[in-house]
Amino acid sequence: MLYYLTKRLGLSAVVIGLVVLVLFSLLHFIPGDPATIALGPRATEEAIARYAEKMHLNEPVWRQFLIYIGNALTGDLGLDVFSDRPVTAIIMERICFTLALVGAGMGWAMLLGIPLGCLAAVKPNSWLDRVTGVLSVGTIAVPSFLVSIWALLIFAVQLRWLPAIGAGEPGQIGDQLMHLILPAFAIGLSWVGYLARMVRASMLEVMGENYIRSARAFGLQPRRVIFGYALRVAILPTITLIGMGFGGMISSTVFAEIIFARPGLGKLIFDAVMARNFPIVQGAVLVATGLYILVVLFSDILIAWFDPRVRESL
Amino acid sequence: MPKDALHSPETLLDVRNLSVDFRTPRGRVKALRDISFPIRKNRIVGIVGESGSGKSTVLWALLGLLAKNADVMGGEVRFGDRDLLQASEAQLRATRGEEISVVFQDPMTSQIPVLTYGRQMLDILYRRPNVSAAEKRRLAVEMLGKVGIPDPDKRIDQYPHHFSGGMRQRAGIAMALLTGPQLLLADEPTTALDVTMEAQIIHLLQDLQKELDATVVVVSHNLGLIAELCDDVVVMYAGEVIEAGEVREIFHNAQHPYTRALLECDPARIDDVSRKLPVIPGDIPDLTKPRSGCIYAPRCQRALPVCHETLPPDVARGETSLARCHLLDGLHHDPSWPPPLDVMTVGQEGSAGTKPARAKHDAALLEVSELNVQFETIGPLRARLKGLSQRHVDAVLDVGLSVAPGETVGLVGESGSGKTTLGRCVLNLVPSQAGSVRFEGKEIRNMPEARFKPLRRDMAMMFQDPVGSLSPRKSVRALITEPFQIHDITGVDLDAEAERLAEMVRLPKHFLSRYPHELSGGQARRVGVARALALNPKLIIADEPTAGLDVSVQGEILNLMADLQAEHGLGYLIITHNLPVVRHIADRLAIMYLGRIVEEGRTDEVFARPVHPYTRALVEGVPQPDPDRRRVHVSISGEVPSLLNRPKGCDFAGRCPFAQDRCRAEKPPHVTMADGRRHACHFPLG
Repeated sequence: MLYYLTKRLGLSAVVIGLVVLVLFSLLHFIPGDPATIALGPRATEEAIARYAEKMHLNEPVWRQFLIYIGNALTGDLGLDVFSDRPVTAIIMERICFTLALVGAGMGWAMLLGIPLGCLAAVKPNSWLDRVTGVLSVGTIAVPSFLVSIWALLIFAVQLRWLPAIGAGEPGQIGDQLMHLILPAFAIGLSWVGYLARMVRASMLEVMGENYIRSARAFGLQPRRVIFGYALRVAILPTITLIGMGFGGMISSTVFAEIIFARPGLGKLIFDAVMARNFPIVQGAVLVATGLYILVVLFSDILIAWFDPRVRESL
Repeated sequence: MPKDALHSPETLLDVRNLSVDFRTPRGRVKALRDISFPIRKNRIVGIVGESGSGKSTVLWALLGLLAKNADVMGGEVRFGDRDLLQASEAQLRATRGEEISVVFQDPMTSQIPVLTYGRQMLDILYRRPNVSAAEKRRLAVEMLGKVGIPDPDKRIDQYPHHFSGGMRQRAGIAMALLTGPQLLLADEPTTALDVTMEAQIIHLLQDLQKELDATVVVVSHNLGLIAELCDDVVVMYAGEVIEAGEVREIFHNAQHPYTRALLECDPARIDDVSRKLPVIPGDIPDLTKPRSGCIYAPRCQRALPVCHETLPPDVARGETSLARCHLLDGLHHDPSWPPPLDVMTVGQEGSAGTKPARAKHDAALLEVSELNVQFETIGPLRARLKGLSQRHVDAVLDVGLSVAPGETVGLVGESGSGKTTLGRCVLNLVPSQAGSVRFEGKEIRNMPEARFKPLRRDMAMMFQDPVGSLSPRKSVRALITEPFQIHDITGVDLDAEAERLAEMVRLPKHFLSRYPHELSGGQARRVGVARALALNPKLIIADEPTAGLDVSVQGEILNLMADLQAEHGLGYLIITHNLPVVRHIADRLAIMYLGRIVEEGRTDEVFARPVHPYTRALVEGVPQPDPDRRRVHVSISGEVPSLLNRPKGCDFAGRCPFAQDRCRAEKPPHVTMADGRRHACHFPLG
């Protein structure tokens, strides 16, 4: 287990290193001088030279890269071009909103999608199965930004049940939760469909296994057979899917955060790209990648925890 | 069955006029038609039949666990004063596991891999709210101990994959008996196990049945198992009970022509090692078609015109026996039927020619010597981290073997003996570490694939699973001509070749346009043979050529292989665990144990006078289809050790009844005896 963890963390470090390299190279391929962009067209020669010195822009590229890596390792992702505030601090302010959104989105999708998939698999070709099937395909096919806009129009503008924009007043949990509902609904909706389909498919397969027949032949209650035996095995591929889906969900948050004007990582990246605020883009993408890798690692460990055969082979 | 037997108080469960249909895309399959038989208390009842006979359907019908596309068309299953077919789902659930319990066929797939045995057994006891969890655990540990699992209080917390096949089946029996059921159903309980394990499980079931006064129903196709274990036997064919009676009546005085034929086809029962095995011609009838007359009539050697038209009567004999045949009673009664046991009622297929004497070839076709195959078990970095110096296991260890043209060599061993690895290594599918493999004198070991590919035309493989080894998307025609395409052979008329090969393996021409799922096991095996023969090879390596085939069909395949050998001078290397089969077809035998050949010699000599104790255990381990030849004791106990901890001395020392200190200290070298036999034993049996 220790060996496995070390190996996985080492591989993750390599992946993050590659991401940094790509981000870094992209900046150098973009035309224009960073100092000029940062200081604006009316900056003096002197100011530009001072800025370049301060930002190590006169060093060779590989040294710049190493300096960046070194700083990133100590938690320093550079300074915001406009406000001169540390990028790390800006990201930390925003990341909670994104995590709350992704957690809520995936959370409700799991709470609804997994049981729905189970029930559909237990009674294949029943009306529930058919409805689930149609809904799954429907929700998967609709892009999340469309759902966001429609949800906004219906529930916030027309019905006025829920607040339209922002993330709620700081410190007021109730208000923040109300603001979370619509965006979480929007980004989670297609995942209800994905999860229901995935769980249904693997449950159908597992329900045909000999050990399920054994459990039934020993007279176990259907509830125990379905949730204690079949789901325990069928959930394994779904955990991987959820882990991988986390990445997709981080990108859906970009739309949701823009449409609902939520201060999150996605909106931060979007605004920074529009403003050519590269230290923020770099830092935010790096953090998002790191998050994604951590979640995938966590889902793999979770699988090992569920499946003793995997656990022991690590 | 005589009517009063049905109502006698000693009947525990009574199946009456049960009919079951399966709804399939081909139409309604009448899987069970009007079957009736009682199960008497404290008896072991065997239900025997070939695939498609409906024997498993009976078992699942008793539990109310038939597949979803099954319809019970009528009948009763009386258990006590209830009819299980009318019981509600809740009532059935209360019966399953408590009053009627099951031991499953394949312990590898019938136990959930992600729960410990403790958890699984506690779940079975969920209906006992008055028993504390600690007490339930104690009961479970006690039952695991009873079925022979060492350290049950520790092993109860382990998962199924920690247990070997035999241990899993023991645990499966413990789970089934945990609640003290009145009726224990066992579905092919030893089919997935090795010969030496099979004997142990048979005796365990027998002992437990006596100790617990349970009633047991065993479903099996294995006549030896039935003869050894059962008191009463029900013979099924194509969804009907065609004969039932006490075990000696069935095995010594079978009344129905099918029972007779089935017994005659079993290679374990045939002492005369002639080249030809008896077969029942034809296939099981299509159960979607309406039946008229006797279900067995189309294949019966004694069929009369009336047999095709009128349903035969159930003719009772004594208190407990019956058989369904026109020959036994009524207008068509034939007093000369059944003939004495030494008269064969089924013929051998084709010419009854014996194998032509082989020309004495000095040059071996295949010669393997000192071959070693190792598998890596752990990566180099991890091994260093864990401080292990040994990173490999020896899957094949110092193996020497030769096959001459026209010769059949049987390579026999239990699972994990390395026999399949050896076969794959000969075909250059697995890299080897040392030794030599010569084909027609040419060293081929670890030859690069580009150079080896032309040789593949001369060496063909017949794979183990007849249906699974054929691509489901290709027609038979495409399958048997595929070798020509693989080897880029142009200029042959593929259609003509397909017809030539089909004729060679006696596959009717219209089968060429069928797909694998439309073939029976025997037909699929013929396609496998045709594929292997397509390029006129000199050597065929056959991995379990008869596995998964019914007794009545396996003779056809073996006879076909023998004919083709006589015709083309093929060399066969037959990899199998089935001793009765190799006894009939192999000229020489090599017995493998844990990657080493422990004995090698001429088949008749090996069987008559085994030199190695393991060989003797294997030879004695096959259950005989004769209730008078039941074994009183199991010749060897224990299981094949893991390759990871190969014993220091003789690999077999831990299980050998004759082992001495030297056996445990020193690995016996291969010794060649005066008569050419080789063995690896310090103290060969006389």
